[in-house]
Order: sequence, then C-alpha cells, then structure tokens
Amino acid sequence: MEFESRYEISRTAEFIRGGNFTKAALQFPDELLKDSVRIVSSLRDELRRVGESDAERDGNAKDASLFVMADTAYGSCCVDEVGASHVGADCVVHYGHACLSPTSKLPAFYVFGKAPMSVSDCVKNLVDHAMTSGKPVLVLFGLEYAHLIQNIREEVVEACESRPQLEIQFAEVLCSEMNPPDKQNICNQGMVPAGILTDDKSFETLPGTRYGIGGLVWKLREGRKMEDSLLFWIGSDNSAFANVVLTFNGCEIVRYDATENCMVTDFSQQKRILKRRYYLVEKAKDANIIGILVGTLGVAGYLRMINQMKELTAAAGKKAYTLVVGRPNPAKLANFPECDVFIYVSCAQTALLDSKEYLSPVITPFEAMLAFNSRTLSVPHQLKLNISSTRDTQWTGAYVMEFRDLITSSLTESRSHSKEARFSFLQGGYVEDFDNQENDEEDEEGALALANATEKALQLRDTANSLVKRTVKSGAEFLATRSYQGLEIHNKNSLPEPYLKGRSGRAAGYLDEKSEKENF
Amino acid sequence: MVKFTAEELRKIMDYKHNIRNMSVIAHVDHGKSTLTDSLVAAAGIIAQEVAGDVRMTDTRADEAERGITIKSTGISLYYEITDEALKNYKGERQGNEYLINLIDSPGHVDFSSEVTAALRITDGALVVVDCVEGVCVQTETVLRQALGERIRPVLTVNKMDRCFLELQVDGEEAYQTFSRVIENANVIMATYEDPLLGDVQVYPEKGTIAFSAGLHGWAFTLTNFAKMYASKFGVDESKMMERLWGENFFDPATKKWTTKNTGSATCKRGFVQFCYEPIRQIISTCMNDQKDKLWPMLQKLGVTMKSEEKDLMGKALMKRVMQTWLPASTALLEMMIFHLPSPATAQKYRVENLYEGPLDDIYATAIRNCDPEGPLMLYVSKMIPASDKGRFFAFGRVFSGKVSTGLKVRIMGPNYVPGEKKDLYVKSVQRTVIWMGKRQETVEDVPCGNTVAMVGLDQFITKNATLTNEKEVDAHPIRAMKFSVSPVVRVAVQCKVASDLPKLVEGLKRLAKSDPMVVCTMEESGEHIVAGAGELHLEICLKDLQDDFMGGAEIIKSDPVVSFRETVLEKSSRTVMSKSPNKHNRLYMEARPLEDGLAEAIDDGRIGPRDDPKVRSKILSEEFGWDKDLAKKIWCFGPETTGPNMVVDMCKGVQYLNEIKDSVVAGFQWASKEGALAEENMRGICFEVCDVVLHADAIHRGGGQVIPTARRVIYASQITAKPRLLEPVYLVEIQAPEQALGGIYSVLNQKRGHVFEEMQRPGTPLYNIKAYLPVVESFGFSSTLRAATSGQAFPQCVFDHWDMMSSDPLESGSQASQLVADIRKRKGLKEQMTPLSEFEDKL
Repeated sequence: MEFESRYEISRTAEFIRGGNFTKAALQFPDELLKDSVRIVSSLRDELRRVGESDAERDGNAKDASLFVMADTAYGSCCVDEVGASHVGADCVVHYGHACLSPTSKLPAFYVFGKAPMSVSDCVKNLVDHAMTSGKPVLVLFGLEYAHLIQNIREEVVEACESRPQLEIQFAEVLCSEMNPPDKQNICNQGMVPAGILTDDKSFETLPGTRYGIGGLVWKLREGRKMEDSLLFWIGSDNSAFANVVLTFNGCEIVRYDATENCMVTDFSQQKRILKRRYYLVEKAKDANIIGILVGTLGVAGYLRMINQMKELTAAAGKKAYTLVVGRPNPAKLANFPECDVFIYVSCAQTALLDSKEYLSPVITPFEAMLAFNSRTLSVPHQLKLNISSTRDTQWTGAYVMEFRDLITSSLTESRSHSKEARFSFLQGGYVEDFDNQENDEEDEEGALALANATEKALQLRDTANSLVKRTVKSGAEFLATRSYQGLEIHNKNSLPEPYLKGRSGRAAGYLDEKSEKENF
Repeated sequence: MVKFTAEELRKIMDYKHNIRNMSVIAHVDHGKSTLTDSLVAAAGIIAQEVAGDVRMTDTRADEAERGITIKSTGISLYYEITDEALKNYKGERQGNEYLINLIDSPGHVDFSSEVTAALRITDGALVVVDCVEGVCVQTETVLRQALGERIRPVLTVNKMDRCFLELQVDGEEAYQTFSRVIENANVIMATYEDPLLGDVQVYPEKGTIAFSAGLHGWAFTLTNFAKMYASKFGVDESKMMERLWGENFFDPATKKWTTKNTGSATCKRGFVQFCYEPIRQIISTCMNDQKDKLWPMLQKLGVTMKSEEKDLMGKALMKRVMQTWLPASTALLEMMIFHLPSPATAQKYRVENLYEGPLDDIYATAIRNCDPEGPLMLYVSKMIPASDKGRFFAFGRVFSGKVSTGLKVRIMGPNYVPGEKKDLYVKSVQRTVIWMGKRQETVEDVPCGNTVAMVGLDQFITKNATLTNEKEVDAHPIRAMKFSVSPVVRVAVQCKVASDLPKLVEGLKRLAKSDPMVVCTMEESGEHIVAGAGELHLEICLKDLQDDFMGGAEIIKSDPVVSFRETVLEKSSRTVMSKSPNKHNRLYMEARPLEDGLAEAIDDGRIGPRDDPKVRSKILSEEFGWDKDLAKKIWCFGPETTGPNMVVDMCKGVQYLNEIKDSVVAGFQWASKEGALAEENMRGICFEVCDVVLHADAIHRGGGQVIPTARRVIYASQITAKPRLLEPVYLVEIQAPEQALGGIYSVLNQKRGHVFEEMQRPGTPLYNIKAYLPVVESFGFSSTLRAATSGQAFPQCVFDHWDMMSSDPLESGSQASQLVADIRKRKGLKEQMTPLSEFEDKL
C-alpha cells in the first residue's frame, strides 16, 4: 500500500473520474519510468473499482484509457501537452518534480511523489536558525516534501509555544491540479489553505503582497520586504532551489538537506551563478544576431513571449532567428555559429543553462530584456529596473525567472534613445551599435545608395580569401563571410562520375578501419 | 601674476604668431612643477577676481600630498617683451604681447599617457633636467615621444642651487657636469632627428639651453650674460655668447681669450669666469650675510633691491637677490619666445604627422597655414572631469578655423572611417571655455592655434576625437595618439553594498572616459576589472572612481590580478585525435610552439590576418624559416582573429576539408581565448591540422559536430605538447647611489628579478640598473625598495615581455600547478584541470 500512497493512486483516479476524462496521458520523468508499469496497473485497478461503484449508482460508466509518456522533448518538469495531444489525451497526469508552470490546453494533475524526511530533526534545525537569526523565517520546500509540511507546521507550533517572539511562516503549494486558463480554475484539491502561523484565520483578509515561485505561494504582511526574512529551504539543491536563490538574491537563505539531515549555509556557488548571469547580460549587449530558442510548447504564454522577444531584438537593432531544436545541447546550438547569443524561452526551471560548454551563451528572456532594452519598463512589484540616463538598462540585482511575470511588463515609452555610444565591458571601451547607422541610412538613400552597394560588393569579395571575421548583422552576411558556402555544382565536368565502392559497416567504426585497429 | 579679463585674453588669442603652446616634460622629481610655479607666479594669467591664489598646477589634494603631478594641467602665461630684447628676433610677430599656453605634465611613468596627450596639443617642449642626476629614463622616453610628434625642444638644466649650496662644486667641475648632461640630451635628440623639423639639438651658445633653479625662482641663458658683457668688451652679443661656452678661456691677468687653458692660475673657462663665478660669489656673500660687500656688487650689476628686502637674511636674502637679478620668468619665457615655434610655424611641418587624409586637400592646407578662416579642424586630446559630477569638458587644440559656442560640429571618433557612418556624430557645442588659472571662462569663440575646452560633447566623445564643421563631410580625422605604456595591472572591483552596482557601472564608464590609459572590462565570472599602467596609476584611478565618479559609494578592490598566457614548450608528443559528438568525424592535430619572435611580430602587426599572403609568406620563410607553401596554408590567427596563435593546414588530399574550415576556425577562436590550463589566452602556439576524417553526408559534419570537436582536439594537442604558463615581466630601471646597490640587489633577488645591466652615470656617483621583474612580484616593489635603500632608489616599471615559467603545470605540486589552481579558483572553475582523456578520443 506504501507504493499506492506514494503515487497517490486513489487521488489520481478521483481526478480522472471527476473530470470524466476518457484518455489520460501519464507523463514520467526518466528516473520514475521504471515504476510506470506498476502505476498503470494499480491505477487501472483503482479506476475500475471506482468505476464499478459509480456504475452501480448511475450506470453510465466508461473506461478511461491510460497512456504512458516518457522522454519529453523539453524539460521533464513541464507538462508535455504536445506529446499528450498525439494520442488525443484530454488530461495529463504528471509524475515527479514539476515546475507547476501553467498549461495552455490540457488540464493536468501533479503527483510529486512523497520523499521521506526526519520531521523532528528538521523542526529542530528550523527553530534553532530562527532563534539565532532573529529574523522572521519563511519556509520554502521542494514539492516532494509537500506532504510533510503539515506535520512540520504542527511541530513548530508546539516548539514555539514557549517562544512567542519567533515568527515562522510557511509557503503553500499552489495546487496539485491545473486547468488551462480558459477553463474554470478549480483549486480545491487536498491541500491545506494557506495561512500565517501566528494568525491563522485572518489570512484572506490580511493586506499584503503575494509572492510565488515554482508552485509555492505566500503572502507577506504590508510594509514588509522579502529582504527582511530568512528563507529556509527544505529539499535538495536542484533547479527549483537555484531559482529561489537567484530570485531572492537579497535574502539570507539556508537550506536543510532532508536526505543528509544537515544544514547547508554556504552559497558562494549560487552567488557566483548570479555574477556569471550578469556577465552574460553584458555579453548579450554586444551581440548582433540573436537566436530565440523555443524551449517549451506548453507553458502558457510562450508564443506571446517569443513574439515579445522578437520585437525586443528588432527594436534594439539586432537580427533574431527563431529556432526549435528541442532540448538544447552544445552540438545542436553550434550548428548556428552565426548567433552571438541565444534566448531560451522555456519554463522557469529549465531556463537557466550553464552555457560554459556552448559556443554562444544562452540567456533567459529576463536577461534579454535587461540587455536589449533601451526603454522604460513598467515592471511588476518585486522587479526593479533602474533606467539610467544613458541608453542601457542597469541591473540592480533583481531577478525574474518566470516569463509570465515579464509578459505583464508592458513596454511603454516609445523608442527615443540618444545616439551616445554604448559602453561595452567586454571590450573595455565605448562601442557603437549598428542600429545607429541604420537609422540614418534612409536620409541619403539616393545619392549614396550605389556607392554603398559597390562598396559592399567589394568588401564581400575581399573577405573570401582573407582570414578576418567581420562583424556581421544577419545570417546572410555571415554566410557571405564564410569560406565555404555550400555545395558547388561543377558545371565544367558534365560526364557522370565513375562508379566507386563506398565504405561499409557502422559509422562508429567502419569495416576497413577495424583492420586498421588491429594493426595498433 | 597678470590680471586679465576674459575679453582681453581672447584678444591675444587672435595673434597666431604671438602664441606659444608648450609642454613641460621631464623625469619624475626633476622639478617641473616647481619651475612651472615660478613662471606662473610671475606671468600667469588669472582672472581679476581671484588674484592672490597662487598654487596653480598641482590642483588635486593627492598630488600635493604625494609631491608628484598626476594629471597634466594647462595654464596660460602672458609676457610683454621689450623691443630691446626683440631686436634680434627674426620671425614673424604681431606686437610685443605674447601668450604662452603651458602644460605641466607628470613625470612618473605610470602617467605617461598624460604626457602623450599634452604633447599632441603643443608645439614646443621645455625639457627639464636635474643638473646632478642628469638625463634619466623618463627624460629619454618623453623626449622620444616629443620628437615623434614633431615637438621642438628647449632644455633647462635645473636645480642649479644644488651645485652652489649642497655640493659646492667648483666652476670647472660644474661646467663638465653640465656639458655632459647637455651632450646626453643631444645624443637622444640626434637619434630621433627628423629632416622636416631640422636640427633639434640644443646648444647653450645658441640660447636654447637655460640654467635654472626652480626652487629659488631664478634662471639664466647665456644671452643674459652676453648682453651684460658685450658692451664691456666691445664685441657683438652673438660673438660674446660663443665665448661663454665651450673651449674658450679668459685670463684676467693678460685680458686675453684663448681656446686652450694656458695653465696660468688666473686662466679660466669663459663660462666659469663670467657666469658661474659671479653667481657663486653673490650666493656665498648672501649666505654669509656679508651685506657690506653685497650692495656694491649688486650696484655694479644694476640690481636694485627694495629697502624692506635689504633686511632679509641668509637664504631668504639670497633668493630675493637672485630673483631680482636673474628672474626665471624672463630667461625662460624669452627662450621659449625666441626658440619655440608659434602654431603658425609649427603646423607647417606638423600637418604631415597630424592629418590622416591627403595632404593637398583644403583641410590639410588650412592646418598648414593655421588659417582661422578655414574649415574647423580640432583635436580633442582628453576629457577633463567637470565640477558638475559626471560631466566632462572636451579639451583639445584648434588646428584651423574657429570653434564657437553653439556651433554644430561633426565628431569623428577613433573608429571613424571616412565615408562611413561608424563612430560619427553631429552635435552642437554648448559652450566654449578657456581656463584662467583655476577658473573657467566662457568665451564666444576660440581661433586656431589655441587650446580650448568644450561643454556638451562629452556624451559623444569617448576618449579623443576630431571635430570639424557640420558640412565638412569629406574631412579626414586627425591621427590618433600612440601611447607608450599599456595597462597591465588589473584589479577586480565590486561594491560593498550590492545595490550600488549601477553606481559602479556608471562610475567605471566615466573613469574609462576620463583617462585614456584605463581599461574597464569584465571577467567571465562577472567581476568588474579595472586595468591601469602601474600600481600607482591604478591607485589613483580607484580613488577617483570612488570619490568622484561614484559619489563616495564604497568599493572593495581585490588584490592585483595578473593575467597569464598559455603556451607550449615542444611539439605534441603524438598526433592527437578527437571525435565529434556523433562519432562520425575525426580531427587529428598537433601543437607546436611558434618560432622565437613570431608571436611578437604578430603583436606588432608585422604579420597578421590582413597581410597580403605573398608578403606574409616572404617574411615567414625568410625570417622564421617556414616553408613557403606552408605559409600560405595559415587558416587563421587567434584569439580575436588577430592574436599570436595560428592554425595551419597540414593535410594532404582530404575531402570536404574546405567545408569544415570555418568550423575549425570558430573552435580555435574559442579555444585560444580560453586555454586548457586555466582558461587564460593562448600565446605562441601553432596548431597543425594533420588529418581529418569526415562523414560523407554534409548534415553530419556541420558546425555543431565540428566546432566542439575542434576545440577539444586543440586542448588535447595543447596538453600533449608540454604546456607552460607565460608570465608578464616588467623592465625595471632603477637609479641609485652606489651605497644603495646592495639593498637593490637583495630586494630584486627576493622578488625573482634579475639585473642585466648596471652602469655608472659618467661624472656622477649614481648607477643605472636595468632588471627584469615579474609583474606578479612587482606589487609593493617600490615601497620595499625604498625601505631597503632608505629612500635612495627609485624604480620605474614598464611592461616588457612574456616570460615562460619553467615549472610544469601538469605536475601536481609544482609552482605552476598551484598557480593554475589559484586562477581556476578565482574564475570559479573546477580546481582540477580537465584531464586529457576528456579531450582526446581513441579509435
């Protein structure tokens, strides 16, 4: 029975029956794939059982068919709606770690799994830390520990009875069931209503700012800032945690590792990530050709985001190409050497790619906005961008991972930046962007057009045998600077080529090479 | 001090023949600023209202504190010369009023970019040399720079007072010292002679050398004395001058001039007899308070003292007497007026050096003629921070035409290419400003031949630029300045409070603007790096950054960061191979060190990607012993397509090789920027592509497969070729007396330096030592050296070359491997180097 409770078989069955779904896609991450068969069979049993009891009541029971989905095209934390649509599924049950990004078409049910943890040990650490820091504590946790939070909360209340000055607040899981925005959003499943520990009842009416990250939500009292609290993370050091560290980089953060039962307080590595991202933003400012990588086909609003990125790059005078390559890897992206930087539009938890091994850096849409924006942004609550008098946007350290938050930031002011040269920290000097030149080009179209054209033609020929790589601003120009531009058709020799015997064997080692190997 | 209104000053600016633009250059501590101050005290133009405020040149608190000049300061002097003095002047002039725009420049080598900027906007230079220390390192450097810019020099032998008071040398000995100093200076000048500029050597008998005591405010040229004696002896002034220098002896007993020392006790050299001895007598009488003797002597010389001055005693008396008798301003200013060119004269021959365009177009002609009616040609040499935080004055020289308030100008930046729109802006000048002492005065316009500061252009000028009228679309820019030092010392800065980051960024941008020698960059790890020419320079820059450009927000600076280079010692031990991610393509490569001197040739631009391949292959085969055909097979240079590493194609008959060339080049650019050891730039490595196996389908040998593979195989070949680190090394020049040598040697030894030249300065107790010192060890070197030699040794460090560190970074526990680990840690990389097996594949 332990297995069934871990995978919440009965609740899943309830969801499927409750929604009257006929085809349910079960999405597994690679590490849970081994359990899929058992899950499917017990789920089927459970559905049949519930179905029979229902049929007894009203007699219109139909069987829901179940499909197992694995090897998702993008991050396994997102609901693979496209995959589910292939079988015409009308709902998705998502297993394992999830980013809880809103879906766009299908309703989804999340099974986070239930990881074990020593509750008393955790509470002891938590209370100790709250005592020493003296700050109000906000508890955030990995979703796999969501089932234990109620226990922790109770124990904390007990432990805190003697120390009323302690203020410990718990975040809540948004919901374990998600409906696309056009349908009614029902979110009443299982989870305890949110609340502040010290004052349970007044939560709904309490004025304050609502925060959320990676499926967790909480409210802070009016007049209190995130920077004032100590963040206490329960769970492992995964991408969800990295997001928390980056987003709330102004807060003091400690992590309780539930598998090791220990506290981790050193996050220099995470701080380093932040600095590295800052470097990438500066690098992106120097880019001329941008690749927009489609990293999701499910997260609500991704199309809008892609369009927004296109507008953004166009406004910054850069050329953008949209690429769909599935989950990016160095080899795939190196096929586009003309792109100076890639913007990865994906769910928040896969967006951060450490692009050290990549030819060109991969940045998030938020970073792209920092880099390319020369306009004022009207920004959501926690995001502060300091627009300096000069043309570049300065980063104050605030960080936004989820692009939903970015979409709401509308671009207000029309484009009117001065023509001052931009300072590039990569080149250590002032540089000029291309758009400045292009703006003026219309003025003297007539007189200089011919001269310009000839000049360009001349330059082109010049580069054919020179070793210099010019700065290029579009893919076509990049191709022109390459020494090899594709297959050439040899017109001279129209006779058919003589017949040649090719190699045989597998590419990893052809037959003729095998013999060579023996020689070594 | 001369009290002036802006209008009066503006009026003199129109007389282009009566302007002298000159800079004061010298070795550090030879007394430039003191000498300048004594000139300013006598003839400085100040605004009427602030008369009495004396300290003029060292305007910054830190300059006064350290006793050195950091920023060059411009100051205008006014001199009305008598008709009597001008009777020998042959050049063109407009009346007797002269305007001298003088720029006092720093002597410390760290600030020599300031000197470069000052030289560009002046036509003449007053070279100051300490009469005891003689021609020093920096004297030579600045002289070379000046002559390179076609700046005519005059010399002053300074600190004469030391001869009389401190060292008490006798006349003949002093003469020998002076003539040696002058000879040394002339040797340098002769080396950099330029036919257009003519003979630039200086001779006392021609009046191009002055003898001065800046501290006491007196100076003379032989002209002064020649005038005095000409009537007495009844000979021509010029004849008399010749007798006062060189092998001319006078015996008062026989009253005869000879060209040899007759040997009699009374026979003395002309200079000693008529110049040195009288001064010595006056000084010693003053110092001994023998006033009864003094007054008749002064009367004979025609010097009258005020009655209250007669009460002075000792040194103060001596100073006063000498200042009245031989005022420094008269001697030096007349020397400048006589022997330094006016803008109108100088621009005739400077135009070739200045103008990039054809020398027969209207712009070149206007510069040549210094034509105020011609098109505007103005060179902005530096940006001066204004008191209004964050704004800058654009400071420069008008070479032709006039710049006026409200004028719309074309701004051609350093990257401007005629006919293109890159780095080109059109803006109006908000105000034109001239300096009167410390005050800025707005004037309507400034004509050619003068220096000017402009308001409202700072956003469009990064460091320097050429300005012309809006409609002059075919003007070429004025040639960019060449600096003699490079920024090698780097520190990482960050702000104490994270939210100050925008302030820091803004501050760094301003800092980069205010000083042409500072480079503000960013490391891969996201750290902001500030690079300067030396430790002192960097210290000053960071102080400016914090106090002036960031409004006092606190910053934390790291220990100095030195960048290394990665190279290889030998040819790869074997041909290494890497497979592409899909295993269908294989690249075979070997690495080998470039021939000696080749990396430097690439640095200097003698060999580069833009060369004509024929010329390149000629140089490579003749100087570096390359095979002629091989030289044609260079695929690329890197990093940044111009760096001192290359990829050479050694394959024979490989199919599709041309297709992957771009991908290999891309991989190489990437890898050569971040070497396998510690992700430092590579240097001096030649990668040879030995063989390539490619998949028959084009889709399987695209960039995605080849670029990462090229990078891996380059790393593998680097690691198999005995990789080494290169460290930057300074050339240190130290000047010190003999007793300090022991201390110098021990400090140098301790710091891994080695001396390669030790030379005694002829006629002085001083030694010149030249040594190589690793940059890593140079931090705190100056202060350690001072401590070890009780302040007698003064070092000057200039980046010289890259030196290979002999220890093997691959051997754990070696010094180099520790260094690699440290760099990797700082950069946030894995401390362990990636092993060869990650890069090399087996068949």
